[in-house]
Parts: sequence; structure tokens; C-alpha cells
Amino acid sequence: MSVGDLLYEFTEYLRTTSLPEQALALQASAPSTYLATHFWAIPIMQVIHIIAIAAAFGSVLMINLRILGWTGKGRTMTWTVRRYLPWTWWALLFLTITGIGMIIAEPPRELVNPVLWIKLGLVVALILVSIAFQQSVIRPNLAQWEVTHDGRVAVRFAAVGITLLWCAIMVAGRWIAYAPV
Amino acid sequence: MILQSLWEGLEASAVGTYIASSDWAFPTIETLHVIALVTVVGSIAIMDLRLLGVTSRNAQVTQISNDTLPLTWVAFGIAAITGSLLFVSKATGYVKNPYFLAKMVCLGLAGANMGYFHLTTWRTVHNWDGTMTIPRAGKIAAGLSLAFWFGVIFFGRLIGFTLGIYQ
Repeated sequence: MSVGDLLYEFTEYLRTTSLPEQALALQASAPSTYLATHFWAIPIMQVIHIIAIAAAFGSVLMINLRILGWTGKGRTMTWTVRRYLPWTWWALLFLTITGIGMIIAEPPRELVNPVLWIKLGLVVALILVSIAFQQSVIRPNLAQWEVTHDGRVAVRFAAVGITLLWCAIMVAGRWIAYAPV
Repeated sequence: MILQSLWEGLEASAVGTYIASSDWAFPTIETLHVIALVTVVGSIAIMDLRLLGVTSRNAQVTQISNDTLPLTWVAFGIAAITGSLLFVSKATGYVKNPYFLAKMVCLGLAGANMGYFHLTTWRTVHNWDGTMTIPRAGKIAAGLSLAFWFGVIFFGRLIGFTLGIYQ
């Protein structure tokens, strides 16, 4: 079974749920009508969404490349985390607002789209993994990082994994537009 | 006229026709382009915000530059290659698209701004490296850099809305 077939099956499943009905109801609502009839609303939300991804992904790379010992080696791990970590969570706020805005603007295209649900699943996974990583790995080990540049092997794998998860989310985000709905 | 035949030739090339006719090639290359572009803008913004005195205030400007520049250049290389491949697949349409042209203008201005900054303001960096007294020219360059790169993202996104209009 190809990926296309799986996505097709997923779409067929979404059509059996109450989602299409809810999407149409949302589409008839005042906020949706407003966003859909103002030409610039969707591109502007998309541009803010992309700029927020740039802020977050740039910060994530600075932390993870520091963990891997590829860049920022002159900065302590404490400094790196304090400098870049808050930007990822602030960006998430803007990503959530503009993301919800884009769903409201085009409900059937988004809500009956298998790729949107795959993306949201990956986002939830990323948030949980990131919190666990920050709380149980980065913070307790900050002091040790001040003396050695590179983290333990498992920590490095986690840094690579989180970066790849980000990439997977961006792939899914771009492919929402290409999924036949 | 010579240029027009060049665009037509690129579009008719094996690479151009393959990307244009394949179901997966254009979206896949475009996705790589987006990932590379957000890395370029994200890493450049870290440097610009340091020059503007917004973030990384307790680190030297040269340190932030060293931390971010390798990432910026690798990502820019990927963005340029993937962008060229996307261009080749629809060259005649892109050169007629005002949003594509505006994106290229922003890209050129971003490059010129960076070049001018490095040839002038950057020469005195050792005088103000660890301080918050960034020369006015440096702050202006940082503000312009953010504006031009946001312009690249804005016009780039609009190309996607207008590909069907300019063919």
C-alpha cells in the first residue's frame, strides 16, 4: 500500500466522521466568512506563521547544534538555553494563533485533510518530547555541560530526533496544500 | 528576446520538464526550499536582533556572528539550489510574475545591505564588539536586513497564490 493510498483511506475515514459537517458549519460562521472574503487575510497569516517557524526553528537549531558541538561552542549550555529556549515557546503562541486562523479561514480544506491531522499529531508529539527533554535532560545536566562541550550520546540522538521532528512537521505543513481533499 | 529564449530553453530542459510533470518533485523541492529558507531567516534574525540590542546582549557581536553564519550559508546554499530547480520548472511564468520579481529585488537588497555592512561598519567591530553601543549604521543595516528578509518570505508566499495567473 502506497503512502497515497493510506492518505486516501484516511480521508475516506475523515468523511465518515462529523468533521465535514462541522467544517461546513464553521465555514458559515462570521469569522470564517470574514477571513475568506478578505483576500490578504490568508497570505498574511501564512507569512506570520512562516516567520514564527523561522524564529522557533532557528532557535531550536542553535540549541541542538550546540548540544552536538557543531556551533556556539564558546557559549555555555546555560547561556544557550536561556537565550534561545524562550523564543521557541513564544513562537508556538504565534503559530497556534495563526494556525487556528488558517483553519477558520478554510475549514473543509483543513479539517477534512489527512495531512493536517498527521501534522497536529506530530506537533503534540514534539511538544511532549520537548518538555520531557528540557525538564529531564537539559536542566539537570546544565552544570555538567559547562565543563564538557558535547553531551552524552543519548542526548545527541535526542537533539537530532527533535530537529528531524521539526522537519517532519514542516513537511506536513507544506503538504496540507497538496493533499487532495 | 535573448533572455526569453533562455527561459524557454530552461523550461524545456530535461530537469525543467521532469520537475514540472512529476507529481512529487515540485512539492518535495518546495518543501526543502521552505525548510532552508526558515533556517536562513531564523539564523540571520539572531544576528540582526543582537545588532539591534534586543537579544544576546551579554554576548559579543562577533561570537553571535560566528555561531550563526555557517548555518546561514549552508541553508542559503540549499535554498538557492532548490529555488533554482523550482524556477527552471516554470521559468517563463516566474519572470512574468511581479511577486517573483519583487522577491528577487528583496533578495538582492538583502545581499547588498549585508555586503555594504561588512565592507564598512563591520571593519570597526572590535571597538564595539562586547558592548551595547552599536554604531547607528549597524542598527540600520540590521533593521533593513529583517525587513528585506521578511519581504522575501512575503513575496515568496504570494508567488504560490499567483502561479496560475502568470503563465
